[in-house]
Amino acid sequence: MGLVSRVIEAAGIPTVTLNMIWVYHHLVGIPRVAAIEHPFGRPFGDVGDAATQTAVLRAALAVFETAREPGHVEHLPFRWHEAPEDVRWHPKEPSPIIALLNRRRRKSQEPNPEGNE
Amino acid sequence: MSEPHRVDPWRFAGRFIARVLGAGIPDAPSVADVPFTPVAKPLAASRVALVSTAGLSRKGEPPFDMDFERKNPTRGDPSFRRLPADTTTGDVEANHLHIDTGYVERDLDVALPLDRLHALARTGEIGSVAPTHYSIMGYQGNDTSALVGQSAPAIAEAMRREEVDLALLAPV
Repeated sequence: MGLVSRVIEAAGIPTVTLNMIWVYHHLVGIPRVAAIEHPFGRPFGDVGDAATQTAVLRAALAVFETAREPGHVEHLPFRWHEAPEDVRWHPKEPSPIIALLNRRRRKSQEPNPEGNE
Repeated sequence: MSEPHRVDPWRFAGRFIARVLGAGIPDAPSVADVPFTPVAKPLAASRVALVSTAGLSRKGEPPFDMDFERKNPTRGDPSFRRLPADTTTGDVEANHLHIDTGYVERDLDVALPLDRLHALARTGEIGSVAPTHYSIMGYQGNDTSALVGQSAPAIAEAMRREEVDLALLAPV
């Protein structure tokens, strides 16, 4: 999404990107980042939590008024209401790329049948 | 005064995902040329458009193509969808193989807060809600060329035609 932000920004429309993995900015250079510590899939807040959704939306929009230079990163102060071990964000099936990496990982961890390095 | 909160980007990721995604990310900004368009108007006078990466499409329209990614795990559908400003939760489906899409399908505002944005327009905190909002599907694997070269410029051009002042993008 940072790449899309860059294109829209370069076309003359200011952008703010609300980002969980805000360090992605280090890789691609995002014009304005509002960093948020929320689980994947629910950047603005939980299902039915209109108060948090509104507060996050407001805080992200406020970055338009505070950011003065490209690459500004604003760390939003929100805390998710569940501990990481209680959060469910994964898809029901591993994504194709994760399934592929898991297969490779398992293969590399299998004992070497020759018994040597 | 307490210390300002510094967002932990990996808090909910789990070790495997953090390692896979984090491996390619430098410790400090590495891109010198970051585009920047100064904000021209106050928020209260600005027309705002939203963009989500949740793979949202209107029911009855072609959804994002998940079979393409299943056959090509290192690629993702690079197209985009338009979502009119009156779109509500029941109007959309979400297709994204990397997250639980059940949350956004139960409440669109977790990822594309159109209801919340309309409320800010009613109270005058923003100038207006753009007529059209947008979704892409965030996973592009190792080929971002069509997203960057085709979809993103088309979204930007559509925003310009609708005189959008500010775009808020939210990856999922």
